[in-house]
Amino acid sequence: MAFFDLKGLLSPVTGLKQFGKKPHTIMFPDVAEHASDRYRGLHFNKLEDCIGCGNCSTICMNEAIDMIQIAGYEGKKGDSGLRPRVDNGRCCWCALCVEVCPTGSLNLTKDYIFVTPDANDFLWTPGIDNKEKGEENISFYSDKETSLSDYSRVPMRELDGDVRIQSFAEAVLGYNEEEARKEASRCISCGLCTESCPDHMHIPEYINAIARENDEDALRIIYDNNPLPEMCGKVCTRRCEDVCAMTHRGDAIAIRWLKRYATETAKNAEIIKEIVNPEIKEANGKKISIIGAGPSGLTAGYYLALRGFDVTIYEAKAKAGGMTFYGIPKYRLPAESLEKQVGYMQSIGVKINFNTRVGKDIDFKEIYNNSDAVFMGVGFEKPWTLGITGEDLNGSLQAVTYLDVINGGGDMEIGDKVAVIGGGNVAIDAARVARRKGADVTIVYRRRVEDMPADWEEIEGAEDEGVHIMPQGIPIEVIGDKNGKVTGLKFARAEMIPDPDGGRPRPKQIEGSEEIMEVTSVIGAIGQEGDYSFIPDDMKNQIKIERGRFVVDENKQTTLPKLFAGGDSANRTADAISAIADGFRAVKAIEKMLMK
Amino acid sequence: MREKTTTLYLGPQHPGITGNMMVKLQVQGDTVVKAETHVGYLHRGFEKLMERRNWLQSFTIVCRICVPEPDPNEENYSRAVEEIEGREVPERAKYIRVMTLELARIATYLLWYGGQSGSAGLYTMGQWSVGDRNYILDLFEDLTGGRIYHMYIWPGGVRRDLPKGFKDKALRTMDYIEKRLDDYDKLLFENSIFQKRAKGVGIIDKKKAVEWGVVGPPLRGCGIKSDVRIDDPYEVYDKLDFEVPAMEGGDVWTRALIRRFEIRQSINLVRQALDKMPGGEYYNKIPNPHKWTIPAGDAFVKTESARGEFGYYMVSDGGNKPRRVHVKGPAYVHGVSLLENLLEGENIADVSFIMNSLGTCPPEIER
Amino acid sequence: MSENKLNKEQLLLDLLKKKFILNESAVRRAKRVEVKVDPKEIIPVLLYAKENSRYISFAHMSCVDWIEDGEFEVVYILWNPEDKINLFVKTRISRDNGVLPNIDFIWRQANTYEREIREMFGIQFEGLVGRQEFILEDWEHMPPMRRDFDTAEFVKKTYFKRPGREDAKDVREFVQERTDEELPDFAKKYSRD
Ligand SMILES: Cc1cc2nc3c(=O)[nH]c(=O)nc-3n(C[C@H](O)[C@H](O)[C@H](O)COP(=O)(O)OP(=O)(O)OC[C@H]3O[C@@H](n4cnc5c(N)ncnc54)[C@H](O)[C@@H]3O)c2cc1C
Ligand code: SF4
Repeated sequence: MAFFDLKGLLSPVTGLKQFGKKPHTIMFPDVAEHASDRYRGLHFNKLEDCIGCGNCSTICMNEAIDMIQIAGYEGKKGDSGLRPRVDNGRCCWCALCVEVCPTGSLNLTKDYIFVTPDANDFLWTPGIDNKEKGEENISFYSDKETSLSDYSRVPMRELDGDVRIQSFAEAVLGYNEEEARKEASRCISCGLCTESCPDHMHIPEYINAIARENDEDALRIIYDNNPLPEMCGKVCTRRCEDVCAMTHRGDAIAIRWLKRYATETAKNAEIIKEIVNPEIKEANGKKISIIGAGPSGLTAGYYLALRGFDVTIYEAKAKAGGMTFYGIPKYRLPAESLEKQVGYMQSIGVKINFNTRVGKDIDFKEIYNNSDAVFMGVGFEKPWTLGITGEDLNGSLQAVTYLDVINGGGDMEIGDKVAVIGGGNVAIDAARVARRKGADVTIVYRRRVEDMPADWEEIEGAEDEGVHIMPQGIPIEVIGDKNGKVTGLKFARAEMIPDPDGGRPRPKQIEGSEEIMEVTSVIGAIGQEGDYSFIPDDMKNQIKIERGRFVVDENKQTTLPKLFAGGDSANRTADAISAIADGFRAVKAIEKMLMK
Repeated sequence: MREKTTTLYLGPQHPGITGNMMVKLQVQGDTVVKAETHVGYLHRGFEKLMERRNWLQSFTIVCRICVPEPDPNEENYSRAVEEIEGREVPERAKYIRVMTLELARIATYLLWYGGQSGSAGLYTMGQWSVGDRNYILDLFEDLTGGRIYHMYIWPGGVRRDLPKGFKDKALRTMDYIEKRLDDYDKLLFENSIFQKRAKGVGIIDKKKAVEWGVVGPPLRGCGIKSDVRIDDPYEVYDKLDFEVPAMEGGDVWTRALIRRFEIRQSINLVRQALDKMPGGEYYNKIPNPHKWTIPAGDAFVKTESARGEFGYYMVSDGGNKPRRVHVKGPAYVHGVSLLENLLEGENIADVSFIMNSLGTCPPEIER
Repeated sequence: MSENKLNKEQLLLDLLKKKFILNESAVRRAKRVEVKVDPKEIIPVLLYAKENSRYISFAHMSCVDWIEDGEFEVVYILWNPEDKINLFVKTRISRDNGVLPNIDFIWRQANTYEREIREMFGIQFEGLVGRQEFILEDWEHMPPMRRDFDTAEFVKKTYFKRPGREDAKDVREFVQERTDEELPDFAKKYSRD
């Protein structure tokens, strides 16, 4: 190359032509740079949608997020009451917190200019510190599609409706190992569910144990405060699932089915013996009597026996389980399953005196005086009647009576066309049992289908099996023939009147809409109540009963110090898990009272 | 007369050096007789941090290994996870990934224009190219929500689909950059100052290059056709039409010419990727990240970054966190053993000039 | 990938099998061949690969701490630019005082890798010359990439927490306090971390 390279000297000078061109730069702050629609800037949290699950805080790999209490946000079931606060000095705007937020309340915004002389200002609470500018500036968000929360439940395999009605075989088949692991791994372990479980089971922990492929530990954790998990795994009302963080955009974790999986994998294994049969404390010489072998009584019996108490249960019927045996149909909870669990209890020393009705076969006072403490788990045995004419006819009966007979191994003539009255789980159970007995079944319910208190899965199950549901129907009279045999049900149509106080709409009978449905029997399922006639009158005065239930404190203690009560006859939630929780709490209180 | 040997410390804070590192020079007069690379000023222990972070959390760390070009790290990390786990990636995601990688390459080369010319004292070039790079960053902002750290390519695909209007904007930007490259030629490649500085300086011996582990433009600048995109194709590079340039010479000038060619090629690859990109899914969603486990196994994956082969060696023990992620960037070889060797006998003024031509970058030496 | 497409890979493996005692070996996938050998075989295998099999390029070298087994696994990754194959040569040594041969006379850049592994894991390479300090400076704790070096613990001891964040609550505990749930100790390892 020549020393004097003309082109090489002139070419760069052509750059001068750029002079006078419009500059590429902009003048800040006169013209502010507009951030893109996906910009990952400062956080914004819709505080009302946030449930304080803390998933943002656990995914943040910079530990930038704290969950803190904020004035005006009280915790409630399904909401911890905590809200995220971001340390903007640590945040790297990866937006993982946004991607894993199950409700979608947490977002990033276009706002990115944040200057302050005080480092403490970097700690700020999205949604509070940018209340005004936040919402309209939202840029990076996660919707159901992009979110890293897994909103779809692993479907449960079950028998088809037309196969199901052929027999009382269990309808739900249970998860296999692969399905269970997959379902368990959806859980974000926030633990909000534990507050809604009446028994406060250690849900995130046992689910995590399943996810980590340790089913034995899962079962151990479950047995810590629930001795009837196989039953709960099949029929629990699962209040926990109602508040699962995933419900905000998808399906709750199948907590119940996972519990069922944990109990079923250990079915015949040695491990179950070790788990249900841990170190039993040495006998302490205290005698406890329990009335009723329903879930509350059994639970109290089991944990008291483990703690070294001498436990005797008095049960009026031939089988243990109370309503879970005589009420819940066998296609949901097979008899063997329940018997096995009761067997475990007997094996650790719980004595059950069957066919012994307190107040008839044995005196209440005698039991009371001979025991250091008494627990009553007597349930609600007496069904309510509809209170309309014709109920004394042959063919008009109550659901719990009908189920009691069928579950007890007997049978009852109901004919081939049945009307079931009510909208709860008991109504559905009676209807589905009647279907299995070959009847054509219609459920008559006062309100709309969406108002039915029964579990949605139960309603769907019933429909699959061919049960008809007639909503907005008000029964007026049961009609019979000369022989006193039911032939029909007179009912009227109802319209829904909005409640001015904002409650659910009320049904109002439409004038002149009466019709008659031809039926062979009418099954009422509108509720039960307790029968406390076994308590002598002089003692009844000292035991406070309100609206048909024993009044108990948080220790399940009645107004008589030695007397405890739980289950349907003492709580308002009236399901198995509440009964179990009551039994467990009573155990702790009895232990405290007697062993101090 | 023997000249006295003086010790000179270049860095760790020095405008001619990318990032914080130091080269300890023994000089006689203006000539380097011995060079020693000292790193450690940027050691953040990323590989250690990943031992305590789950598979998803670790993904947000890797981009920080390279500021100018984070995307090959994201892509490598994701592909290693996918290889061990056996996770499928949708075809569309693969095209988006390729497009992102090529955009990143363009942005990096634009920055390199600045660094290479700046270390020769030609500052206008850098003002232009870094300014133009901002238009690529605008694209990244639209696409990923971030200008520098994109955190966009992640295991299973990419984080979001192309936003509305992206294709047009990207094509417009490509046209613009392509036009500007002619201006750059006049300013830099036709500039006799640059030519004089670059030719015959920092020569890598062709026979030794492969054996020494030289990669990327420096290797191709020795006349060896080697490019991961061709040799061990990943994503959809085997479905795109492009050529690997190679030129004999081995000096700073040849390396610059290679880059000059490749930036045009990348513009073309972006166009191809946008053109051939199929519809459909852009992401094969991972399970709940807290409980996401990867089967035991290991993988070694590579990408061709703007500076050469980037390799990730990853090991899983079956848990929800990586057992080991070992990152090997091109500078690991270029910045230590090769650099120390090349600098011997060079002029002090050429040290950072040579470093820029090798693309030494301390964060990938020490991670 | 069909069988005959993996010809070259299989060929290499057969060759190595004939020549050396391999503890394990496999064609992992196209372009990836893996062999496991004893430490004393490292130099012969690497030399053979370089001189006789055209694995002339040294692509990577890494170390994994298998603390449960009391062993380090060191992997050498070579590259054959003609056949386009990566060969993994793996070996295991004791965590306590395992020594490996230095190979920087085969590939000079291996020196950098070995220095890093020596510093980060504490593995000695026989005959390795090069400054002891590489990435770390004035480090007086155990080699930090060993798995028993607990980063969180180190941070806790070395740095203070920024004041003003003490009011942070753990969601699980906070909700638990509102109920009478008693979480047994053995279950806590399954709580969220
Ligand atoms: C049809 C039906 C379906 C149901 N389905 C579900 C369900 O799916 N999930 C769910 O969680 N819950 C369900 N329940 C509710 C659940 O069965 C009850 O909430 C639960 O069984 C209540 O338990 P408990 O301990 O209070 O007593 P109960 O189960 O009512 O048992 C009381 C026991 O005490 C005995 N007893 C009563 N008086 C005396 C006495 N004087 N002497 C001796 N023994 C006596 C009774 O014979 C009975 O065995 C259902 C109930 C019914 C009726
Ligand atoms: S954006 Fe990333 S770093 Fe910032 S708070 Fe969210 S998770 Fe943490």
